[in-house]
Amino acid sequence: MADAPALSVQGLTTEFRIGGRWHAAIRAIDFDLEKNETLALVGESGCGKSITALSILGLIPKAAGRIAAGRILFEGNDLAALDEEHMREIRGDRIAMIFQEPMTSLNPVLTIGFQVAEALRYHRGMGQAEARAHALEILEQVKIPSARQRLDDYPHQFSGGMRQRVMIAMALACKPQILLADEPTTALDVTIQAQVLLLLAELKQLYGMSMIFISHNLGVVATIADRVAVMYAGEIVEIAAVNDLFDRPTHPYTEALLRSIPRVDRTSDTLMAIPGQVPSINRMPQGCRYAPRCGFRQKICEQPPELAPVAGSAPTHQARCWVRAGAAS
Amino acid sequence: MSAMTGEPSAAPPPANRALRQFFTAFNTNKTSWVGLVTFAVVALVAVLAPVIATHDPLEQNILDKLQGPSAEFILGTDGFGRDIWSRLVYGARLSLWIGGVSILIAMVVGSLIGMVAGYFGGRLDIAIMQVMDVLLSFPSLILGLMVVAMMGPSVGNLIFAIALTAIPPFARIARAPTVSVKERDYIEACRALGYSHPRIMAVHILPNIFPEILVMGSLWLATAIRVEASLSFIGLGVRPPTPTWGGMIREGFENILDTWWLSMAPSVAILVIVFALNMIGDGLRDFVDPKLKGERGG
Repeated sequence: MADAPALSVQGLTTEFRIGGRWHAAIRAIDFDLEKNETLALVGESGCGKSITALSILGLIPKAAGRIAAGRILFEGNDLAALDEEHMREIRGDRIAMIFQEPMTSLNPVLTIGFQVAEALRYHRGMGQAEARAHALEILEQVKIPSARQRLDDYPHQFSGGMRQRVMIAMALACKPQILLADEPTTALDVTIQAQVLLLLAELKQLYGMSMIFISHNLGVVATIADRVAVMYAGEIVEIAAVNDLFDRPTHPYTEALLRSIPRVDRTSDTLMAIPGQVPSINRMPQGCRYAPRCGFRQKICEQPPELAPVAGSAPTHQARCWVRAGAAS
Repeated sequence: MSAMTGEPSAAPPPANRALRQFFTAFNTNKTSWVGLVTFAVVALVAVLAPVIATHDPLEQNILDKLQGPSAEFILGTDGFGRDIWSRLVYGARLSLWIGGVSILIAMVVGSLIGMVAGYFGGRLDIAIMQVMDVLLSFPSLILGLMVVAMMGPSVGNLIFAIALTAIPPFARIARAPTVSVKERDYIEACRALGYSHPRIMAVHILPNIFPEILVMGSLWLATAIRVEASLSFIGLGVRPPTPTWGGMIREGFENILDTWWLSMAPSVAILVIVFALNMIGDGLRDFVDPKLKGERGG
């Protein structure tokens, strides 16, 4: 951990234009991703998890969005300021991403062997035969049964779980330093989920990668993550090592999120929904963004809170709450 | 699925499988086979013209002029005593060549324009498609007529004129599916893998939209042959001694009341090839519609 972080995101703000005005979809996101670490980004739909990942890869649609502020430091480069050509060399080669929907994330008219080999041919300049041999090797690593026979099969001949493995193979083909996994298990059956999670953890070890794991499923996060950043309405509201977070959920939102997970060993009475909705991007509250839905709301919550260390927990445990963390606690 | 039955190492290359899939779908439509066979026969006749023709198509023999069909002259002779059958056979060469090359050019250029417009969208898209709409508003015959009249009749200009009229429809047919395919998750995945725009278009979008373009190609080949015949008929096609179907209709037209078969033979030839190409187009469309639409994942 003494090394420089694999990726350092500093004050990242990404804005989208709605009705002629720019609104921040994510605001002042700060985190370091250490080498070999899995950082989970957690939050409900629309909280900016995916936007964070797309910003890192420079895939924010230029017509409607922009990175307005902040730096994304990776191997001495600021990705936020890097031009498209250099960005292309990094994407898929040193930073790769896997997506939520395995059913639609593979090209239906190309064989999976071709699609896995393509990344190698493009980034590594390999010949057809060499890339194919490597593709086979990677498909075996992601545990596609009888991969050799299946190289020339098309995506529709694969099940969802197998397709997600192919996606993972494509992303890992060039042995990236960082893998961005955007809800890679959400669309899969629970049993398949576990297999894919296990596979990801194993491959992360094998390749010595760092991983940003995006999910709204805290159960999944507890299994795979080293650290967790909880996002709400475009901000990180709490960040902590995974055990600290589950032991001492500090931000009222984190707490509410944990209470809203159905559990087999409890009756449904204990299941709590969070009242209200995430404020829309162009109607953000002035102060704490969670205040309108928060049961602990006080006068001071009309001022925007900063991330502050949580008293009585590890120093790396920070929360963005006047009431529960920092000075007021 | 087919790979399961094959030898592990001898899985057929993808091109083979696509071809087989194509023929399976094609098979269900019998008329398209009629079209394909007819077209193949005409194409074969064109290729083997020197063997099949009974006379030199340019040889004039004034003593034999305007004869009816006979053992020596299968379809009779024209006003200069040239053998109609031989001229018809050689005419097939030119008609297919001009139609084929011009449609090939239109297919490549039009698809490229349409894909670029659809892929990049925005103002570029609007500008390109406006130009295409202007070109599209001219009937192909009128546009072809203008071009040939300006540049003079020659095979090259004819091909250019017909290609020009056929580019807009190909641009349209390529643009529409590009707009929908580029929004697919797998294109986003391609961008996340760092592929360049030309690569994404050529490797990932083109195979998805190619069937549509192919259907359009077979239908427009028929149109191209018709336009070529029409231009030759009004004297703006290939210069006279060279046999073309349109030109032959025109030559026969002068004596249509006495020797109707002179115009009839090339007319029937055009009719047959246009019918055949339309049948092929229908069969191809059946192949494109239900099969691939489902696989593409709606």
